[in-house]
Amino acid sequence: MSRFAKPIGFALLFCAVVIAPFLVSNYHTYQLGFVGLYLVALVGLDILTGFTGQISLGHGAFMGIGAYTTTILVVDHGWRDLWTIPLAGVIAGAIGVAFGLPATRFSGPYLALATFAIPLSFIGLLKRYPHFTGGNVGKNLPQLHSELGWHVNPSIWFYVVCWVVALVMFPLAFLIVRGRFGRALRSVRDSEIAATANGISTAGVKTAAFGISAFYCGVAGSLYAIGITYVNPDTFPIDLSILLLVGIVLGGAGSLYGMIFGALFVEFIRISWGPSILNLFSKAHHIDTHAPGSGLVVYGVVLLLVLYVAPAGAAGLIRQLMTLVTRLRRKKDASLSDPSLV
Amino acid sequence: MRKTFLLIATALAVSAVVVVTAGATSSATPGVTAKSILLEGTFPLSGPASGYAPIPAGMGAYFAYANAHGGVNGRKINWHYEDDGYNPANTVQLTHKFVEQDHAFALVGGLGTEPQTAVRQYLNDNKVPQLFVSTGATTFDRDFATYPWTLGWQPDYEAEGAIYGKYVVKNLSSAKLGVLYQNDDYGNDYLRGLKAGLGEAHQSMIVSAQPYDLSATTPPAVQVAKLKASGADTFVIFATPTPTIQSYVIATKLGWSPAHVITNSVSATDPFLTIAEKSGSNIVEGTISINYLLDPSNPIYNKQPGMKLYRAIMAKYDPKGNANDPLNLYGVAKAWTTVQVLKAAGANLTRAGLMKAARSMVYTKGKNNANPFALPGVAVFTKGNFQYPISQVTVIQYQNHVFKPLGGLINGRGALR
Repeated sequence: MSRFAKPIGFALLFCAVVIAPFLVSNYHTYQLGFVGLYLVALVGLDILTGFTGQISLGHGAFMGIGAYTTTILVVDHGWRDLWTIPLAGVIAGAIGVAFGLPATRFSGPYLALATFAIPLSFIGLLKRYPHFTGGNVGKNLPQLHSELGWHVNPSIWFYVVCWVVALVMFPLAFLIVRGRFGRALRSVRDSEIAATANGISTAGVKTAAFGISAFYCGVAGSLYAIGITYVNPDTFPIDLSILLLVGIVLGGAGSLYGMIFGALFVEFIRISWGPSILNLFSKAHHIDTHAPGSGLVVYGVVLLLVLYVAPAGAAGLIRQLMTLVTRLRRKKDASLSDPSLV
Repeated sequence: MRKTFLLIATALAVSAVVVVTAGATSSATPGVTAKSILLEGTFPLSGPASGYAPIPAGMGAYFAYANAHGGVNGRKINWHYEDDGYNPANTVQLTHKFVEQDHAFALVGGLGTEPQTAVRQYLNDNKVPQLFVSTGATTFDRDFATYPWTLGWQPDYEAEGAIYGKYVVKNLSSAKLGVLYQNDDYGNDYLRGLKAGLGEAHQSMIVSAQPYDLSATTPPAVQVAKLKASGADTFVIFATPTPTIQSYVIATKLGWSPAHVITNSVSATDPFLTIAEKSGSNIVEGTISINYLLDPSNPIYNKQPGMKLYRAIMAKYDPKGNANDPLNLYGVAKAWTTVQVLKAAGANLTRAGLMKAARSMVYTKGKNNANPFALPGVAVFTKGNFQYPISQVTVIQYQNHVFKPLGGLINGRGALR
């Protein structure tokens, strides 16, 4: 049964992705495009955080590096945006490896703090070299438009691009975390000492995981720039890095399928769900929904609730539910076969 | 088994999670029905720029007042705004929602140079009015030919700079100006305006102009020291609030007491200047800046009919708001202009009709239809190639924690045309 689980799951995901734009409005299709790119980013970060156990507070900056790679190539060098996507990943990945080489000698909270420096210095550098990056003023990309002979609504085109990339990079992550390399990742997470004792270069494995996750985030950032059609330092605030981490935890760190929930959360909590939940309350309890920062309160409350109800994230919650169902069924089977209870 | 179920549930969640809302409106013009007009906008209600949050609330108060007094040609205004946290990525997504999902008739008052720059092309491509953006960046007024669906409202930074130039030539003719400016579009707009206001003959009054980077991690001490060494006796600050406060303090610490200080209006508000003073600056008193609206924190305007109306509107429609906050009045004054333009666009409301009305506004004292919340005599005026709605301001001076107007109105755009 479980031998077919992954192919079946992937086939279902594929069907859902194909059907979704026919079910929802163009605007929601546009939003689901962002879900696709967040999925790429979260899956990448999950390889580092969920599978290798290294917390990063800086991966929003790798999205930024990917986004600026695409923007500068498209705006200043006339590249076609689609062709910049892999390059954005490679550049972000290379920078990730370069940062990972020294930084992964740290571990635990020290590494987290070191990664916190990435978005800080990234924003500083963007403002320091305005002739190259556009500085505070930022850069406008061409508006969304369908290409390659397609004539569809720009939102649908964006959705298609994001999910084609996501459906390539998502299964790729399964290949990365299985086998010898995947075991090395998990052993570093579970016990660095035991991993070293078994001949694993922990720094090497961590650096590789860092590079892979930066590559994923770079690709996601490239798509982000294409979708937003504008970049400036405010587009990649430090919150973005935190939000990615929150997405992983809520999805269920260490589960790749859980990242779908994480990506949905990251995209919808700020733009759609937060305000709607707030509006529900405002009607019932006369809360000023436009009070500065009230949206953040919802975000915080939802976060706490989820952590309380499902500390292992959405994937963990479903696993728990399944265990419960199985147990109930066993009980039922047991009661039927026990003559004393009939 | 368990795993399969997990996978199925996950896959289905993708399509199940989105709530489909019926968006189509029956009328030909999006956002307009026989009884209502939908206006929307993005503002920073959270994050570092959330201090601007009173603006949309003030706009809402005036729209509620207008609705209670008959609305616009029988239609009520539905005002809906959302928080973009000053992050252009959020602005873009919300703007897509306003246009494609909510079908807003027009976007009004959207705040911030960068967030509004991010959505300008999109709105123009979709022919949706981007009206009265809440930023003074000159491009939103100047580049009307490229972006026919976009228009600013307040005096632009270039015009404000020009006014300081004119003021200096007229009143401080022997001054030696030392200018500190932010090294980006914002600071350069101001500096360009200042030079235009001084005119060719008086450019040499600027003895030194020092740029600073917004990204600099240290206060602009070196720049202020250079300005002091240049022999300047008038300190001109074209900076955002934090560096402005810092340079006030640094000048005092360096023992520099310029005879005059000119500070751009963005940073010259009572709260910021009070911080500078409390941090040890002794050159705050007498700071010169500009204003174009009634100032609710200054009691001398309390007898103006516009101020009385403003306080009545705030008391009734936004009682929780701080009526002494100039940003509320800014919102009310902007909403007033919006209502006038909607009325001028006629009963058969279209987006093109709205833009046509906004491109030829004549709200002046002479026509007896001036904006009651602006300083007496300030016109809201656009015509043909002149698309700078408010370009008259009055010079004000900070005295005992109140800005006092000095003399009458000056037209900043007169020097630039």
